[in-house]
Order: sequence, then structure tokens, then C-alpha cells
Amino acid sequence: MSEYGSVVMPPSTRELSRKAAIVGIGETDYKQDYMAARAKAPGYEPPTTESLTITAFERALADAGLKREDIDGLTVSFMYAGPSPAETAAFLGLKPRYQKVVAGIMAGPLPQVCAAIEAGECDTVVMVYAAASRAIGRKFGGVRADDNPDKGTPAGYYYYHPWGWSAPAAYWAMVWNRYRDAYGVTEADLGSVAMQFRKNAMANPDAIMQAPMTIEDYLASRYVVAPMHLFDMCLVNDGAVCLIVRRADLAKDMPHAPVEVAGWGEAKIKTKKLEGIIRDRMRPQFQESARQALEMAGMDLKDIQHFEGYDSSSMHLINHLEGHGFVAPGEGLDFFKSGQAAVGGSLPINTAGGMLSGAYMHGWNHVVEVTRQLRHEAGARQVKDVQISMSSLAQTDQVHPLIFTRGAE
Amino acid sequence: MPQTRPNRTLGPRHDEFWAGCANGELRLQRCAACGVVAWPVTSACEECGSPDLVFETLSGRGTMTSWCTFHYDYYRGVLPLPHDTVLVELEEGPQFISNPFNLDPKDMKVGMPVKVNFIDCEDAGGVFRLPVFERA
Repeated sequence: MSEYGSVVMPPSTRELSRKAAIVGIGETDYKQDYMAARAKAPGYEPPTTESLTITAFERALADAGLKREDIDGLTVSFMYAGPSPAETAAFLGLKPRYQKVVAGIMAGPLPQVCAAIEAGECDTVVMVYAAASRAIGRKFGGVRADDNPDKGTPAGYYYYHPWGWSAPAAYWAMVWNRYRDAYGVTEADLGSVAMQFRKNAMANPDAIMQAPMTIEDYLASRYVVAPMHLFDMCLVNDGAVCLIVRRADLAKDMPHAPVEVAGWGEAKIKTKKLEGIIRDRMRPQFQESARQALEMAGMDLKDIQHFEGYDSSSMHLINHLEGHGFVAPGEGLDFFKSGQAAVGGSLPINTAGGMLSGAYMHGWNHVVEVTRQLRHEAGARQVKDVQISMSSLAQTDQVHPLIFTRGAE
Repeated sequence: MPQTRPNRTLGPRHDEFWAGCANGELRLQRCAACGVVAWPVTSACEECGSPDLVFETLSGRGTMTSWCTFHYDYYRGVLPLPHDTVLVELEEGPQFISNPFNLDPKDMKVGMPVKVNFIDCEDAGGVFRLPVFERA
């Protein structure tokens, strides 16, 4: 996954907890852009990294009630290459004293910015992320031009091409077959995850997927890699997210309640990657990274009131839920079926529809949803009185949870 | 008729693996320093970093870790759809991605014993034999 860059996380120390807060959020029009990309009307121009970034930035700046001259830091997290921080600062009209490229995928960028703020390198940082996945025709499997047999143990799939094994969906399909075998559950049981997130998306006007999904719809959706259905896999769409993060003591008396970054953690699979994902479902990494994040935040897992997990697939969301320890292994699907993951349940999950039905923004949209929830501005999908949220990003070899708290206004 | 397959990884070391297959042998690298068997073919042991890796013929036996069936055409027409794949835990340790041979997904169980076989294939590099797994 070298295209995501390597994530360098600052240590999970108590000294860095709640030293910075999210004070502004901006997103592009996921649904509108997705529809336009699919319709490809005459004269349709696909969005660019720059156009998406400008939209998200201007919305975040307005949301925070700040002016360009208030901004003294800039990070750029473009998924598939893009302008440099200096070029980005120029087209956004910013003159930051701190500027940096941070690995595209959440959660690494946010802790890095918190640490830079605590180190006195900047006070108010614009973080921009953009992914023109659809516009560039991004593919998620098969043979790639940059497959290289001489890089040592492969990070990707190229070595398995002669057997026709490729793509993220294949990991989750193999995890799901083992899970079915171990716990005696069915495809319809797994469908409860996609259906819940669709329901959540329908309460979010910005979510891409808005049509109701029945169990019949789920079971009738085509297989990508069986037994993973199309509706088990995340969307592919273009978009950008901008977060404005500010030193905690400056984050008061602003238009919205500040959302403090209270904790983070990191754990990676170092060797035996296939065992780690398919056999162990990354449980050691989920456990270790959550322990770090909770300790940093001074909390216990039972304090978490709302969870945003990286739903690259429905199965992987269950890996998160069980891996972090919210429920025991094998109990994740019952948790969904009994409504515990819904708004109003004991732990609402991916309340904006996640990446399955909301938008695929590599974990950044999960952080935006956390912010809306903790501000108590989530409208029809608001988790009542929520004070503490956790997001968690896990790819196929690393886990990065984040813990957020609603700060004093 | 050999089956057409997406291209193998060829070159120094990799060729030795495929030469073993041509001979009906599953030959993988064992680390002379720590004893761990490496797969895929590599230039250094991922456990201890030693470059001292020696090919040896494995038993060809293992157990089923998992399986999945591709319906999406990731290889743009090269492979028939749907096609089945398996993940086998070899007796000597590594997890090995492969295809099932005379074995239907509905008959697969986690932990079932399997053994290697070889089928005739071809790619841009020519004809070769591909290791696949059948019920032991």
C-alpha cells in the first residue's frame, strides 16, 4: 500500500492528549459528484484534486468562522499524487509557517498535526485531503504497471497473479469464509451490517446511497469475490475533506463546540501478513492500538459512546468491533442484528453511512462525522448527549484508532 | 491444453521456485539462520533479515486456511469466471495462495487436509506447471 505513504505517528502520551481540537470541517458534495460522474452528461468535466480541495477548504474556513490570515499551518494528504504544500498554499491563498505532506489515509495525519501544535510549530492548521479515485479510474486489483518482483516481500498482490488472486475484496472474502465456518453464521447475517449503514446513510442528506436496502436486495447484489457481495464493499467516489485543527486554548468561543483529539494508537503487522489478516483478523493489532489510545485519553473502552470504523468491507467492520473488544469474537453480527449498532443502541456505529453507503474518503469522513456528533449537529442521526467518540482506521496491515471528546465551548 | 494464466514473477530466485514446480516439487526457501520457511520468494528472511536462504523440497501437505471465489474480472478476460482460490497452511509453516484441484468450495472446511498437485499452464514466459491443492 505504498501509494498511501508511510504513517509516522507521534507517541501516544498523556502530554499530547487534548492539546488540539477540530474547529472547522468541510466536505465536497459526495452524492452530487458521484451522480454526475456516473451520468457523464455531455460536457461533464471530472473534478480535479485542486477543485475538490478548494471546495472543502472554503467550507471548512466558513464553518470555523476564520479568515485566511488566521491560518498558520497547512498539511496536504492527496491520495494519488497532487500539488505540493507550497503550491496548495498558493492556490488556497494561505501563508503558513508550518507546511507538510502527511500520509493520505487517516488516522496518521491528525496526530502529527496535534504534535506539531504542541511543539509550537503552528496554532491553527488547515488539513486538506482529496481523492479523485473515480476520475483517475483507480482500480483495486489485477495487474499493475508498478508491480515489482525485486522489492522483497510484496506488500500487494502481484505474486499471486498466476493463481488469479488479487484485490482487497479477496482478503475479506477469505476472512468471512473462516468466520462463517467458526461461528455458523450466514450471508444474511452479514447483510445486517450493510443494511444498518444504508439506514444510517438515509438519515444523512450528503450520503451517496439513499435508496432503502432490504435483505433481498443485499442477497441479490452480485458477488465481487464470493462470498463478499457488492454491498459488502465500500464505494469508490471522488471527494475532499478539510479539517481545521487549532491549539486547544484558542479553540474556545468559536462558532461550534471544539472537538478535542484525546488519544491515538498505532499497531502494525510486521511479518506473516496473510496469517495476520486472514487467520488472526488483526486482533493483536486492534487490541494493542486501542490500549494505547485509551490510556492516552485516560479512558476505558466502555466510555466510548459512538464508534466510526473503517468499513472498507462489512466484514472488516466486524473485525474492528470484535478486535477492539466492544464485543467478543463471534458476537459482532448479533450486535448489528439486535440494533445495538443503530443510533439509540448501546454503541452507534458509522452513523453517516460509513464508506459502504456514505462516501469513501479513507477514514476522513469518519472524523467529520465524529465532529458533527460531538458538536451535537448530526440532525436526525444525532447520538443523544454524546461526549466521547472513537474512530478507527485499519487497512490490511495496520490499525490506528483515535479518541475524541467534546470540549468546553 | 495448458491453461492461460496471468504472468508469473520471474528472475533470479523466482526461477528456482518454478523449476521445482516443473519437476513436480514444491520448493521454497528456508532461512539457514532461523529456520523459517519463506513465501513468497524473497531476498531476505522477513523474520530475522538473513539473506542466507536455501531452497528445499517441502512435503506438499497442508491444511485449508480459507478460500474465495472471484466473480469480478480483475484480470480482464485472462481467467475464466468465476474462479476459485484457496489459502493453504503448509506443513512447514507458510500460508500459500493457490487454486483448488478437483475440490468444490461447498465441500471445503477450515482445517481440512490437502496436498499439492501440478497443472499445465502458460503465460508470456512460456509453459509452466502451477502448484494447486486437492483433498489429501
